[in-house]
Amino acid sequence: MSAAFPVTDSTFQQEVLNSEIPVLVDFWAPWCGPCRMVAPVVDEIAEQYSGRIKVVKLNTDDNHQVASTYEIQSIPTLMIFKSGAKVDKIVGAVPKATLATTLEKHL
Amino acid sequence: MSRGENKASQESLEAMIHFSEQYARKSETYFCVDPVVTAAVVEGLAKHKDELGSPLCPCRYYADKEAEVKVAYWNCPCVPMRERKECHCLLFLTPDNSFAGTQQVFERVEVSYHD
Repeated sequence: MSAAFPVTDSTFQQEVLNSEIPVLVDFWAPWCGPCRMVAPVVDEIAEQYSGRIKVVKLNTDDNHQVASTYEIQSIPTLMIFKSGAKVDKIVGAVPKATLATTLEKHL
Repeated sequence: MSRGENKASQESLEAMIHFSEQYARKSETYFCVDPVVTAAVVEGLAKHKDELGSPLCPCRYYADKEAEVKVAYWNCPCVPMRERKECHCLLFLTPDNSFAGTQQVFERVEVSYHD
């Protein structure tokens, strides 16, 4: 069971933009190899920062509206949202330490 | 016959396995140390070949996949790979890449699709 729960075009506003705590969004696609490497790292982060950040994932194949709005190109792309705005972005499979360092800047 | 949820045809899969092994040798690159990564990418390439006629990179988001296939920039092997041996999908890795394994032979591992 993944700790990061799925969001869609229709739930993005409510779950991400309206969130009272910062949100980490994992933009992924089904047959993207590096997405499968980053997913467990994202799950670990979700557990480690439980209650301080919300961690969600969005399938770009099924949710064009959000993927286009945030100009997703290479995947995986991880984005951090705070108070309804995008505040940071990490592209590609990264080690947990890199993700944690980036995240800490926004807590 | 279907190979499973959201998977490519057997024919396209075999074609992409053959291509991947051949191109790794030709470009002197290696598959990822994690065979699941390689298997997922090859499945994605084969699925795009089934759906679009070309093996469009599965590690990008495209607003319009049909239009992207015609542009051809991200059809595997993509332009960054052909010009600079850069594969952000981690399919073809130069030996100095920390994710590179030692194999140029595709390992058949079962990779499932799930949300």
